[in-house]
Amino acid sequence: MQSELNESNRISKRLVLTAAIILIAVPLTIAFGIFFLDDKKYYIISLLIIIYTMIPFFISFEKRRPQARELLVIAILCAITVAGRAAFVMLPQVKPVAAIVIISGVCFGPTSGFLVGAVSAFVSNIFFGQGPSTPWQMFCFGLIGFLAGILFRKGIIQKSRFSLCIFGGISVIVIYGGIINLSALLMFSAKFSWKALMTIYAAGIPFDLVHAASTMFFLVVLSNPMIVILDRIKKKYGLIET
Amino acid sequence: MKDTFSGLHPIVNFTYFTAVILFSMFFMHPVFLGFSLVSALIYSIYLNGIKAAKFNFLYMLPLLLLVALINPLFNHEGVTILLFINDNPITYESIIYGIASATMFISVIIWFSCYNSVVTSDKFIYLFGKIIPSLSLILSMTLRFVPKFKAQIKVISNAQKCIGRDVSNGNVLQRARNGIKIISILITWALENSIETADSMKCRGYGLKGRTSFSNYRFDKRDKSVLGTICGLILLMIFGMVLGENTIDYFPSIIFKEITIISAIVYIGYAALLLIPVALNIMEDIKWYHLKSKI
Repeated sequence: MQSELNESNRISKRLVLTAAIILIAVPLTIAFGIFFLDDKKYYIISLLIIIYTMIPFFISFEKRRPQARELLVIAILCAITVAGRAAFVMLPQVKPVAAIVIISGVCFGPTSGFLVGAVSAFVSNIFFGQGPSTPWQMFCFGLIGFLAGILFRKGIIQKSRFSLCIFGGISVIVIYGGIINLSALLMFSAKFSWKALMTIYAAGIPFDLVHAASTMFFLVVLSNPMIVILDRIKKKYGLIET
Repeated sequence: MKDTFSGLHPIVNFTYFTAVILFSMFFMHPVFLGFSLVSALIYSIYLNGIKAAKFNFLYMLPLLLLVALINPLFNHEGVTILLFINDNPITYESIIYGIASATMFISVIIWFSCYNSVVTSDKFIYLFGKIIPSLSLILSMTLRFVPKFKAQIKVISNAQKCIGRDVSNGNVLQRARNGIKIISILITWALENSIETADSMKCRGYGLKGRTSFSNYRFDKRDKSVLGTICGLILLMIFGMVLGENTIDYFPSIIFKEITIISAIVYIGYAALLLIPVALNIMEDIKWYHLKSKI
């Protein structure tokens, strides 16, 4: 009961913070871009907005002073994700990141899913080199983990291979592919045009399909054993979902 | 070669790279782009030697050409039409813009490669440990766990080999099943281990008030003067930005401010800002050379 109360309290606080950022900071940034930068610096403005949307998660996580156990579990999941990406680094686009992030989101809740996604994207880029697309990757994987947690809680996806695979495939193509391709376009194109966007999406299709297929493969292979282990640990040590 | 700039306080390193990478993304004026690209090349070769030079020429040069070519194909703005391809005009402005944005793209990537070798993860965690303590703890633990897992997976796989259940035993299906088994053993081990670590952290007072963290960075006089210089030059750049010295219109036709004394000062200031690490290294080399010859 107490934890439920805390939970709803926390979510509403985050909602307020998110709303404040979305309603005040994002329009201000866009206005700054239009009036002071002559509506030409799409990349910097979009980068700022992406960073703003991640701030509420990080602040609300810091604010509630997480327990050491919680931190350790998240760090372990991130490390598994990073090690998994390192193991398949030779094969382009074959990344187990999304699969493990989805499993974490389903087992430990939306906030943990977001953190595992964002932190593992950041840390794996420490190993493979940071670049201008790091914040975008953090945001995409974080969002995939967050959505997995939310949809599981709402009962839309289950802890079954089939439903996780469908969610994994769709989320990688729509969220990851959709956002990363857009960021690539904004990075080196002067004017935003629908034609260029369509072309870059078309060019990205093979990569997104490989990424989605590999995510589904990893979900088929890993979901059952990992979910069993994570649920067992949760029960054994009484870890709460976040 | 030892990089003097890396030896400075993390705040100095981080401020420098934030400013330089943002400015490189921001300033599309050809003079600024050229300075940024050349300084990024010099610094990356200074930091990483032949490897960086190879990387820059093998990957960055083709990428530059590709990005420069893509732009005119999709961007048909601009007043000076050079030719038509399939009824689509190819304009002089869009070709120039393509080259400019390709240069920007490449120099940002090269600056990031310098960032990666100067701002190491321990510096990053030192900088953000105060602001986001829990997250930076997660970060540093993740960095530690990755090599630990690599070592542990060898231990597990050797133990499994003893009972004939390694990835090198059996047919393909058997091997795959053994591989999954090894991964689940690793995950179980890691999680159990982490709970133990967490409990022992709690016993030692993690999260209590008044705990300090160890760091061996000291903000000394040298850091102060370099940071002061960087901040001064950043202000000069912002001043130049307000005056419009570093902005350029590519469409519909290329318009930029005439070069005056003020713009020359801004250009020199930008070059100075970009070349601070290289200059520090050269100064240090000269100092070292003189010290050596005295002995």
